[in-house]
Amino acid sequence: MGKTFAEKVLGRAAGYEVTANQVVTVEPDFCMSHDNGAPIARTFKKIGVTNVKYPERICLILDHAVPAPTSDHAVNHKEVREFVAAQGIPNFYDVKSEGGVCHQKMCEEGYALPGLVMVGSDSHTCTYGAFGAFSTGIGRSEMAAVWATGKLWFKVPESMKVVVTGKFKPGVSAKDFILKFIGDVRADGADYMSVEFHGEGIENMSIAERMTLCNMGIEFGAKNAVCKPDKKLLDLIKERGNAKSDRWEALWADEDAVYAKEFHYDLGDITPGVAKPHKVDNYSPIEEVKGTKIHEAFLGSCTNGRIEDLRLAAGILKGKKVAVRTVVIPASWIVYRQAMKEGLIDIFLDAGCIICNPGCGPCMGNHEGILAPGEAAISTANRNFKGRMGDKESFIYLASPMTVAASAIKGEISDPREAL
Amino acid sequence: MGKTSIVKIMERASGHPVKVGDRVWCNIDWATCRDFGGANAVLLFEKEMGKEAKVWDPDKLAFTFDLQAPAHSEKVATNQKIIREFCKRQGVKRVFDINHGIGQHVMLEAGMIKPGDVVLGTDSHMNLLGSVGAFATGVGNSDIAASYIAGKNWFRVPETMKIEVTGKFKKGVCMRDLLTHIIGDLGAGGMDFLAVEFTGETIENSSLNERITLCSMVTEMSGKVPLIMPNGEVLKWLVERAGPEVEKLAKELKADPDAEYCKVLHYDVTDLEPLASCPDAPDNVKPVREIAGTHVDQVHIGSCSNGRYEDIAAAHRVLMAGGGKVSPTVRTIITPSTTEVQLRCVEEGLAADFLKAGIVFTNPTCSLCTAEHYGAMPAGDVGCSTTNRNFIGKVGKGSHTYLMSPMTAMATAVKGCITDPRDILK
Amino acid sequence: MSEILKGRAWVFSDDVDTDLIYHNKYLAETDPKNMPQYAFEYYPGKENFAKEVKPGDFVVAGKNFGCGSSREHAVYCLEYAGVPCVLAETCSRIYYRNAINNGYPVLFVKGISEAIKEGKIKDGDQLEVELSTGTIRDVTNGNTFHGDAVSDLENDIMEAGGLMNYMKAKVGAK
Repeated sequence: MGKTFAEKVLGRAAGYEVTANQVVTVEPDFCMSHDNGAPIARTFKKIGVTNVKYPERICLILDHAVPAPTSDHAVNHKEVREFVAAQGIPNFYDVKSEGGVCHQKMCEEGYALPGLVMVGSDSHTCTYGAFGAFSTGIGRSEMAAVWATGKLWFKVPESMKVVVTGKFKPGVSAKDFILKFIGDVRADGADYMSVEFHGEGIENMSIAERMTLCNMGIEFGAKNAVCKPDKKLLDLIKERGNAKSDRWEALWADEDAVYAKEFHYDLGDITPGVAKPHKVDNYSPIEEVKGTKIHEAFLGSCTNGRIEDLRLAAGILKGKKVAVRTVVIPASWIVYRQAMKEGLIDIFLDAGCIICNPGCGPCMGNHEGILAPGEAAISTANRNFKGRMGDKESFIYLASPMTVAASAIKGEISDPREAL
Repeated sequence: MGKTSIVKIMERASGHPVKVGDRVWCNIDWATCRDFGGANAVLLFEKEMGKEAKVWDPDKLAFTFDLQAPAHSEKVATNQKIIREFCKRQGVKRVFDINHGIGQHVMLEAGMIKPGDVVLGTDSHMNLLGSVGAFATGVGNSDIAASYIAGKNWFRVPETMKIEVTGKFKKGVCMRDLLTHIIGDLGAGGMDFLAVEFTGETIENSSLNERITLCSMVTEMSGKVPLIMPNGEVLKWLVERAGPEVEKLAKELKADPDAEYCKVLHYDVTDLEPLASCPDAPDNVKPVREIAGTHVDQVHIGSCSNGRYEDIAAAHRVLMAGGGKVSPTVRTIITPSTTEVQLRCVEEGLAADFLKAGIVFTNPTCSLCTAEHYGAMPAGDVGCSTTNRNFIGKVGKGSHTYLMSPMTAMATAVKGCITDPRDILK
Repeated sequence: MSEILKGRAWVFSDDVDTDLIYHNKYLAETDPKNMPQYAFEYYPGKENFAKEVKPGDFVVAGKNFGCGSSREHAVYCLEYAGVPCVLAETCSRIYYRNAINNGYPVLFVKGISEAIKEGKIKDGDQLEVELSTGTIRDVTNGNTFHGDAVSDLENDIMEAGGLMNYMKAKVGAK
């Protein structure tokens, strides 16, 4: 019987064949933490171990509130810096124009690689599946234990297969597909499972689009989400030449692997849609929410802050003016610089957008664009839970970069196909 | 006997002759608020006058969002919303939302400010608008709310101090250094309640950004209002933005040659060297060379004092002369004062060089100067900044800040410790 | 009016800036009643002021009290803590306006800056202050000081109970 992706990667890491529901202990290839590295460091110190097991496998990336907006954040950052220095951790991205949102950095700096086992103290760590890695979010105490021992146990997950064919119509992108998908399978649709995206529909997508899909895996309960490491990805890894590990190997599920669930989608059927407040699976086609008044538009985050996303939004915003406050936050400084080179920053500024420095921005409600009571935002981020971006009486609609751009111009939720 | 500029301005604003020491009621040209103080003023006005009450003239109100733009706390987000809704009800059109920048700078660029204008604002550095001859002053929320009632407010006609400046700055030295020198000389209370006229060849030949720097820091000596009547390039710039009337006003409101001053000081900048305000007071001044080598964790360039394009360009020249990279041990943050400045930095390629250098280039805002934004510091950290205050714990309890010029700040960022910019600009 | 106010002294230096009185961390606050809890949180050695101040206690300071920001919070946080007045050699221009505009008394006390430096008035001293005459008696050590209240228009505004009330009366609003 064939193996799923999860069985192959975890088996390779364990050193023996494994099957779903078996418990294995493996050494993660990389473990990522962001500003919460500070509380993890405090827990680590309580364990009583002096040194971390593998300093070179730890990545620390400040992104949640950069530069520090309050002295409390500043103290937190300082604790991370001191821990990095004390433990000799080489992979540290401080408040400098080298950083960005942690998941974006992990992908663009060559940490995320096919066949690796990666963990992060952030639920959206599943993003690295776009690079063929088995990656999943873990808790802070767990992370402290990984730092100390270099090991972590996993239950080999059952798998879900999502077969995707066809191509998007104009005005539609990966975010529209994943929002529709989550609406269909609901927020717990893949609980504990490894989600594999298959098919030529995925192969036609850019790596950035695949990152959007895998990033949202956690929003329907997936343990990890992954796309096939195809030629497009391998070429990119080669072209970048910055792979941070030589342990990687392009692994993929066997044709005859066994899946707990299977779904089929044709991208040609997908239309623009949103997730309405206050649940990610509260899906509506754009037609049903068109005209809803918004107060803020947010373009950015680990879900949709890449150059490809900015290009799509700029295509709609060019020569137009926004009607509401529009916060644009490139996912990393590399993205920011590329956007500047391509003239996108000019387009955004001319349109009246505000361009913030890379970071998580308002996504989890502690920086750059908090909502007041009664305000509604349209956002390219990944969660619209009650109060996530500010006051508990505020409202978040999740949508694609194109939908956000089109809505920003009108000041109400709008169909991007009409703006093209 | 002749009149000082402030006497002329207050006579024009009150409609009758005034003399020093008088309490006079002046017509207000602009009653402005930031997202700090704005909600307080609005709420006070509505509490005292009722929700239905109308402000005297919605076209003379303005609001600027720069304390936290974009907001990172629910309280500020709510305050911003209170302001937006008040403006909708009252028909106030001039709401410069989070995509504009630092209030005074935004209003200057928008052509709202003319010589002789009486401008109130919930910002103690409002008086930097004296750089174009306006009487602008920082006030609390009661002053703003009370002004909304009838468009008038009370002022004591201040004595005037005159500061004449001569000479040319040497390489690596700039207006910020002169200002730092004056603060060291006069102390935190050195201009208490006074109007201050800056004159002399150095001032007459100075650019708008230099005048802004000079005027912004008068607050740190407790001055009431700095005044420089526009001339030359500054006059041309202001006429383009604010209209032809500026020319007449600048001429009329210039102090008479025989005006009376309570004090006349003279400074020559020829031999001036780079200076810094050391922790924890703006008047704790030392030459940069004496503190050179001091370890630094963070450098910040921006603020209403030194966030203009020319300030950032001066820092850029130091960066490029120093090899184009900032020290890996220093967090360096540049915050342009307005979107116009930001856009110019992008279009002229400075922004790209900053990013290559390892610098965080933020959107326009007051940034760390208000402590509740980009670059708050942890206890034990040392920062260098072109902002205007380094009070105890201002940007984080237990942190300490050196204030300095953009050139010195960038030299420090490049070397990783406090550095005289002349060591790089050889 | 010959009422004599009695209370303890909290003594501060020259050039007490507005961040020391009320730190910019809390600027988003709009309700004056919530402001006293942050008073002097950043003043070294006086971090407990907010917890320990009793209604009737006085704030005694040297020159240039309240320099810096325009925040009216720096007045409210003392007024709403029950501090009946500020006794200072001088205070900054904006602080002065903000106090007057709220009908909050500030007495300008000649020589108090030196007296503070020389230890002639100390934290915890029992003070008796007669606002009408400006007489300040330090009961603990017997020193007497004299403070000037405001005059002219400022006094009228004070007596009206602040600028809002004064303006309302001026324009005949109810």
